[in-house]
Amino acid sequence: MILFKAGSKGPAFLAMGDRMKSKQKTKGFAYILPALVFIVVIFMIPLTYTVVMSFLRWNLLRPDLGIKPAGFTNYVRLFTDSFTLDTVGRTFYFVVGAVLVELIIGLCIALALDTEFKGWKIVQSILLVPFMIAPVVVGYVWRFVLNSDYGPIIHLMKQIGFGGLVDKPLLSNPSAAMPVLIVADAWEYIPFVTLVLLAGLKSVPYEPYEAAFVDGASSIQRFFYITLPLLRPSILVAVVIRTLTSLRVFDIVFIMTGGGPGTATETLAFYGYRTAFQAYNVGFSSAINMLTFGIAVVFTILYMKIIGGGKNYD
Amino acid sequence: MRTRFMLLLFVLLIASCFAVPLRLSSEVGIHTDAWKTRMEGFTKETGIEVDIQQFPYANYLDQLMLGYTSGRVEIDVPYISMLWYPALSIANYIYPISDIPGYEKINEADIPGIRNAKLNGKTYIVPYMNELGGIIYRKDLFEDPVEKANFLNKYGYELLPPQTLEQYRDVAEFFNRPPDLYGVTMMGRRSIFLATHFMQRLWAKGGALLDMNMRPIFNSEAGVEALEEVKYMFQFANPAAMNYDFQEALNEFISGRSAMAEVWTTGMFYVEDESRSSIVGKAGFVGFPRPEEKLGEKLPMLYISWGFSVSSSAPDKEAALEWLLYVTETKNEVEAAPTGNIPARFSALNSPELAESFPWIGDFASAMENCIPTPIVPLIPEGGSIVSGIIAPAVSEFLAGTKTAEKALDDAVKEVDRLMRDGGYY
Repeated sequence: MILFKAGSKGPAFLAMGDRMKSKQKTKGFAYILPALVFIVVIFMIPLTYTVVMSFLRWNLLRPDLGIKPAGFTNYVRLFTDSFTLDTVGRTFYFVVGAVLVELIIGLCIALALDTEFKGWKIVQSILLVPFMIAPVVVGYVWRFVLNSDYGPIIHLMKQIGFGGLVDKPLLSNPSAAMPVLIVADAWEYIPFVTLVLLAGLKSVPYEPYEAAFVDGASSIQRFFYITLPLLRPSILVAVVIRTLTSLRVFDIVFIMTGGGPGTATETLAFYGYRTAFQAYNVGFSSAINMLTFGIAVVFTILYMKIIGGGKNYD
Repeated sequence: MRTRFMLLLFVLLIASCFAVPLRLSSEVGIHTDAWKTRMEGFTKETGIEVDIQQFPYANYLDQLMLGYTSGRVEIDVPYISMLWYPALSIANYIYPISDIPGYEKINEADIPGIRNAKLNGKTYIVPYMNELGGIIYRKDLFEDPVEKANFLNKYGYELLPPQTLEQYRDVAEFFNRPPDLYGVTMMGRRSIFLATHFMQRLWAKGGALLDMNMRPIFNSEAGVEALEEVKYMFQFANPAAMNYDFQEALNEFISGRSAMAEVWTTGMFYVEDESRSSIVGKAGFVGFPRPEEKLGEKLPMLYISWGFSVSSSAPDKEAALEWLLYVTETKNEVEAAPTGNIPARFSALNSPELAESFPWIGDFASAMENCIPTPIVPLIPEGGSIVSGIIAPAVSEFLAGTKTAEKALDDAVKEVDRLMRDGGYY
């Protein structure tokens, strides 16, 4: 809205416009101030605190040693320690595995559910159940399900002749434990991915399909040239959120394997926890958390570039 | 009117200062339930009110540490694991109880393992619950005449609760009849429980975690043998035991699916719990076996203890000591024990009333008298990190087959060495 006095001259009008703009800016700033304060308090202060701690030598169990500046010691250890690098590798394995499985299966389910049918809402509600369960409970459920004595999955595998695969309990098998964690995580989060993608599918306009149909495009062509590109924003949301949450995976690792067997399922978040709450090494643990944070930022930027950087179809 | 009101307010304020109860804290657990039954009697006898805050075990230490570090702890008498007191005492968060006037009434000579509660000659924790790592076994199976005859026939000696590591292996092999009965239940999940299997054998074979100069020495020949022995015993355990923790191991044993369980004494309370055990009255306890050549020697045995400490910030330390004297009195320990505690005093362990409630308590007392009670982790602030964070993963790596025994132990020793250097030990 533009206001001006009748008969006012140019410069006076412009000055008034500037005042208006400045007033509007102040007003706008006032509106976002609560959110800004919230972000600073909830996000920036803890982050800054963690950054500061990561440069300290601080062990809660040894207050007699005091809190001393450590320079880059924690980071040097972080990047030269082969265990940390192995842990980063295991974390990538988990994140890539979990996100891929969830995306592929979630997309398939979303496509299957993208038609209204009787009982659609019931199916949708049932689909959400795993997502509503706390990760700790999911961990216990899967630990039970995979128990080599009475777990139904193991029993079933033995019944259908795949007993050889589960001779050694899966969670105690170093090469099987991580894939099993990925399956458990996928079981919990596929509904989330499905819902995000389903919402995306619902917003895809019908016209491009009509045009493609007239042009004689096959269903596969329609999927790859229309559905997938138009679904890109939803895929980006699902993948970014799931990557960030997978990087922090802790609960199911803690409950299902405790990081074992050996170090086969020890992820960065678990390592950070162990350093913070078993060794009480606050400084090094903060450095581990900063590394996790850095990886999350890099992942997010990469996804934005790869998935979000294409043509805008809106 | 206003003056009267102000006066009343002042009086109430002063009264409230004096009426501050003794503030206890603990984890949620059965031995805490046991001493909680004494709180009312204590108040009746002394007029001192007591209040308790309980936390889940998993975050109890965190709560204490964060409270003490921030200076906002409101606990006078924390009931803690013996493993925690070194860190708390070095930081002066807890007070040397032996410095409180009247402490001599505690009668330390009656408490086995009290030497573990001392730092620089001062006592920081008074044990209330004591237990040992050992073997709980199925008495009914061991006393079965057919089993005895078959065992004698196969191994050439009498079937008895194992005293030596050799007997332990034989008995586990003999009773291993999967899937209905396993020879032994062990705890293979990567945790402090798994580390105990290694440490018990290391000690039994004459090894140690650290030497006198606090340097790690568990990659010795005894260490390698101990680790290999752990793996050997797992062949007589349920394959699922590779991911068992304490509770799962106990569940297997109390459901009658194994002849022995390598756990610790508290397991006997679960055995006797009619609501969940199918072997009530059918189990016994024996201390951890040792090599035949070391029979009769006093060797270190896994020792777990919880007890009472006193916060340095406690305003009335005499009241705190009153509580300690009351709750650890033999009579009170005996009366509280059936709720779920193994008393810390010999006088309580050997009392006839307790022997009636717990027929196995005599075997426990005798195991306690014939060993060197050795805490589950070295009593230094880094002890927990060494056992849970370094030794447990090393044992797990060996069991998982990702490292040889030598490599797993050598790597673990290097890590402990770094930890100790960081801690300024050398």
